[in-house]
Parts: sequence; C-alpha cells; structure tokens
Amino acid sequence: MTVDGTPARDFAAVAARVEPVAQDLISQYPPAGARSALLPILHEFQNVEGWLSPEALAQAALWVDVPLSVVESTASFYTLFHRRPVGRYMLQPCRNLSCTLNGAGEILAHFRERLGIGHLQTTADGLFSYEEAECLAACDRAPCMQVNLEFVYDLTKEKVDALLQAMRDGTFEVAPLPQTATPGASWQVAADSGKRSPGAVGVSNPNDPGGLGDASGVAMIERLAHDPYPIEARPTNERLVRDGTARLAAPSSNHTSEH
Amino acid sequence: MPVVKVLTAGIGEANLRDLDVYRERGGYEQFRRAVTEMKPAELVDLVSRSGLRGRGGAGFPTGRKWSFLPNNGRPRYMVCNCDEAEPGTFKDHMLLEETPHQVLEGILIGTYAIGSDHAFIYIRGEFQHGYRIFMEALAQARAAGLVGENLFGTGYSVEVTVHRGAGAYICGEETALLNSLEGRRGEPRLKPPFPAVKGLYGEPTVVNNVETLATLPHILRNGAEWFAAVGPQRSPGYKIVSISGHVKAPGNYEVPLGTTLRELLAIAGGPREGRNIVAMQPGGGSSACLFDEHLDLGYDFDTMAANGTMLGSGAIVYFDDTTDFVEAARALVRFYAHESCGQCTPCREGGHWLEVTLDRICNGGGLDSDIDMLVAVSHQMTGLNLCPLGDSIEPFLASVVKRFEPQFRSKIRRTQREAVPV
Repeated sequence: MTVDGTPARDFAAVAARVEPVAQDLISQYPPAGARSALLPILHEFQNVEGWLSPEALAQAALWVDVPLSVVESTASFYTLFHRRPVGRYMLQPCRNLSCTLNGAGEILAHFRERLGIGHLQTTADGLFSYEEAECLAACDRAPCMQVNLEFVYDLTKEKVDALLQAMRDGTFEVAPLPQTATPGASWQVAADSGKRSPGAVGVSNPNDPGGLGDASGVAMIERLAHDPYPIEARPTNERLVRDGTARLAAPSSNHTSEH
Repeated sequence: MPVVKVLTAGIGEANLRDLDVYRERGGYEQFRRAVTEMKPAELVDLVSRSGLRGRGGAGFPTGRKWSFLPNNGRPRYMVCNCDEAEPGTFKDHMLLEETPHQVLEGILIGTYAIGSDHAFIYIRGEFQHGYRIFMEALAQARAAGLVGENLFGTGYSVEVTVHRGAGAYICGEETALLNSLEGRRGEPRLKPPFPAVKGLYGEPTVVNNVETLATLPHILRNGAEWFAAVGPQRSPGYKIVSISGHVKAPGNYEVPLGTTLRELLAIAGGPREGRNIVAMQPGGGSSACLFDEHLDLGYDFDTMAANGTMLGSGAIVYFDDTTDFVEAARALVRFYAHESCGQCTPCREGGHWLEVTLDRICNGGGLDSDIDMLVAVSHQMTGLNLCPLGDSIEPFLASVVKRFEPQFRSKIRRTQREAVPV
C-alpha cells in the first residue's frame, strides 16, 4: 500500500491498459514511422500513472522498437514528461513577458509563499508540484497559469488563494493527477548522475556550466594539457564500430577512391 | 477601425466546434470544390497569386513553398504546425479551440494541393483542451465522410494524424518539429536539405502554420485577387494580430496588413489610464523593439523588416512608461536560455550567461561593464547556430539596452545599494 492508502501499483495492469492504445497509435503513422508513436505513448502512460516510471519507459521502448537509452534521452528532452512522481496538482504559472508586464512577479511570489516551496518542487504532502512556466499562449488574459494542463486565466492573489483552497478541499474543477508513487521533494532527475567520463574523474561537477571560478572546466583543461597519452592516438568509437577492432587502422592509401 | 472578421468570423457568436454549425456557414464547401473541381496545380497557382505569406513567423510565400516539392514519385506529407509558443502569440491557440473545423478544412485543402494523402497536425503539449476539441472535430469530420477514403466519390483519400508535443518551444522550428514528430528529441536539423526535399521520414514535406492553412478556404471562396488586393502589394491579406502587454483590451484582432501600430494600439483599447506607450515588440519575443516614434508605421512584413525588426508571428506587446525593461529583458532571456535545445554552443552557453548576468544585475551584483557585455554576448551568439533560436535574444536585448541604457545603469546602482552584504 502507498502512503495515501491506494493499492500498490501493478505495472502489468498499467501496461495491459495502455497496450491497445499504443498499438492504435502506432497504426496511425506510416509503417516506417512506428517510433513517431513514442511521444503519444509516453503521454498515455503519464495519463495513467501520473508520471513516467522506469518500467513505462522500458515498455514503450519495446513497443516502438528503439533502445531504452534512446527513449530515456527523448523523454528527458521534453518538460511535460515527468520522470519522477509529481503532486496531484501540477501548478504552472507563466513567468514570461506579457504576464510579467501584468503582475506575474507578485503572483509567483504569492504562490511560493502560500505553498512554502519554490520552482520545480513538490510539497511534503504530495498535493502540489510547482513550476514557473514559459509563455502559455494566453497573453490576452495575463497573468495566466495551467493546472494539470488546463488553463486558469486572469490570476489575482485572491484567485490563487481560492483555487489552492479548492484543491485542498477536493472541489477544484480540474481533476487531480493519478499518483502511483509517493513524490519526492522534486521531480527533476539529478543533473549529476555520479558517473564520470575518464577525463572528468576527480572533477567536482561535470554538469557545472564552467567558466571563471568554476573548478570543473579548469580541472579538465589541466588534465588535457598534462595528459601523457595524446588525444589523437585514442581510437574513436566511430572507428571501433567501423573496423570492429580497438586498434587504430593506418590511413588507407586509396582512401579517396573508395568514395 | 479596420477590424475585420474573416478567420475570426463567428467566434463568440456561434458554436463553430460543431460540424453542422460550421457547414451551415459554408464550411467544407471549399474543400469539396477543391477536390471535385480543381487540380492540385491550380490550387498552388491560386495560392501563389494570392500572395499569402506564412503566418508562423518567417513570412515565406506559401505558394512558393509548395512549389519546391520535387516530382519524384515519393510519398509527400503535409504538417500543420500548431506548436505555438512564441512569447506574446496566442492566435493559433484561439483558432484551434474556437474553429477546429476551419483549421481542419485548411489542412485538408493544403494536403490536396501538394498532392499528399497524409497530413499531420503537431499540437503543442500544453494545449490539452485544444487537442481534445480538435480530436472531436476530426471524429465528426471522419464520420461525415470528409476525411478518409474515396472522398466525394473522386477516389481521393486522405488521412489526418494528430500528434501532441510535450513541452519544448524549439519544436515550433520546422525541422525540430519533424524530429519530434518522428519520436526523437526536438533538435533542429541542418538545412539544407530543406523539408520540401527531405522532411518527415526523409520524404518531401511541407510545414505550414495553423493560421496559414486556415486562410486557405477563404482564398478559395473569394479568389486570389480578393486576398491580394488587401493591404500592401508584397505583404497582402488579413492577419490575426495578438496584442498584449500594457493595453486596456488585450486580445486577438484580425486586420488588413498595413494597419498602423497606432491604429492597432487603439483597437486594443489604447494605453492604460494616464500612461503613454514608449515601446512595442511587434513580432513576438524574437523581434527587436520599436519605439513611440514608430507608431505610425504600417504593420506588414516588409515595413517591419525595413525598420530593423519583423512581423514574425503577428504578436505585438506594448510597453508603457512604467515598464522595468531590465525585468522585461530578463523574462525573455531566461525564456531563450531555458528553451535552447543545447546543440549549438553559442546558443546554449550564451543564453545561460546572459541570464546569469541579468540575474546579478537584478540582485545587486551587477557591474557597469555588464551592460556592454549583454550587447556583446548577444551579438556573438547570433548567426552561429543551426536554427534561429540563438539569434532571437539579440534583437530585443540590444534594442532595449540601447534605448533604455539609463534604466539598466540605475538598476545596477540601486540593487547594489539595496543588496544585503554577505
């Protein structure tokens, strides 16, 4: 059982429910384009589970016949896909230009104060996730927001208080998201996986943007400058794949005639 | 007031989401006429003669875009771009939700015109409501025999696939959209080859904006000459303009191109009480600002280009004399930094550093030299990327820094004074 008393999730049941939809989606694209159904299938999994579980990604990879790493890479590109559980209500007020000109700054501050959390965070009770979103194409009714992808327009502080209360009372007009796992403090996947490429071992954080004052860039340049093993002598992955050996092949003399 | 009702006719008066209501008003009649009475080449010619230019941002002549498709016997695809996310733009959002059948009829006419039998509409992930409305409209049209096989007994068949995005501004760029439609990361492709030659699944593809396609039934009904006669010669026709910012009545207003920025301001209710407009961004977040001395310019593709900015997606944001342009620049720069796909270094790194610099200006850590750096970095990012996203910061940022430099300087000093010593 999960914390809120709903039965523990059964992924086989989820997959069985999504499969007919997935097969229908795949059939809507030309035969060469089965992979096109990936995004719609991920949407469908998220509709059912409230987030994209690792099992869902693996299942989608099988259905559209691409490697799991590719599915993960693709899912991670899109901000509407949540790879960690989120709150029952995903609150996304706009922070872009037209909303800013119409008082979005105050609305955002009000949300942060009332929820006690910041951008990309989830409340401890798992009810609210909060993300300051970019232009939602409703600038005529700024400041605006989306709640579980449904629009709420013409925001005021009073309106924010009223809608948060309605969500707490379960009377808000937009249905809460399903929640098959307890959300953490954030649904963002950690930027630093802890894995290091050989050049970055001992570097504080390879994802750090670098620049002056950041150790990672400096450390990596130091390493390259003092590496006794010259970079050009290393076989590249491409060569490994092409000739199937780890040795560097000598440049072919009739190289140009091959092409 | 030159407000017209062509694409926006009936919105707010009739339930245009209902197929019967749409058909009573002449809906799908032009699609039927196109398929039963016209050859695709005639349609391409008609649209070319109308002078219709793309409504998504680039303003490329639609008929010419269609004519680039090679005659190589390969399958062809029509893709409708409904990934509207340009800051300040909300016209496609309205068209999708209020007139889904008009959008669908436009897609069908365009698909027939380019000799294709499979159309896709890429709907922005955030438009969940619009997606449901469009799916319902598509189901109605299918049941009525307007989408499917052997339409009107002519043997012509067409399929329409609805594809939802998942939150990525960059997917509005046509090659990124095609990648996303193929189930990949939405990263723009190197051009050439252009989509017309090698697009979706490597086949010839046309990507057209929602408003561009929704205009087609009207051009068919009234003729190319009717459309070409409106507005400036090289930039003709009616256009939905999304007006927001510091105006009393923000909204979508349909006007003939060439209407002046002052008239558009008046149409949107004018400035707020006691305020004056000091600047406007005339073509979405990626366009350079114009200022009060430009209010009498006509709003069309060529006049905007001649004045160093662009008509873009047709979104005007008006700024009055209360505007904090540092905050405005910060909102837009943060947006482009957030939405960079990360493929090209100038865009990925430049956007990030501009955001960091604007943040520190607003938080008390700014330096006087930061002002020059904002202009220099945004300029260095420009022209070095696969797609126009990295080029989109400079126009607005450079134009407001140049015009409102004292605001930036005083912001740096004020926040320095107010900053809590660490």
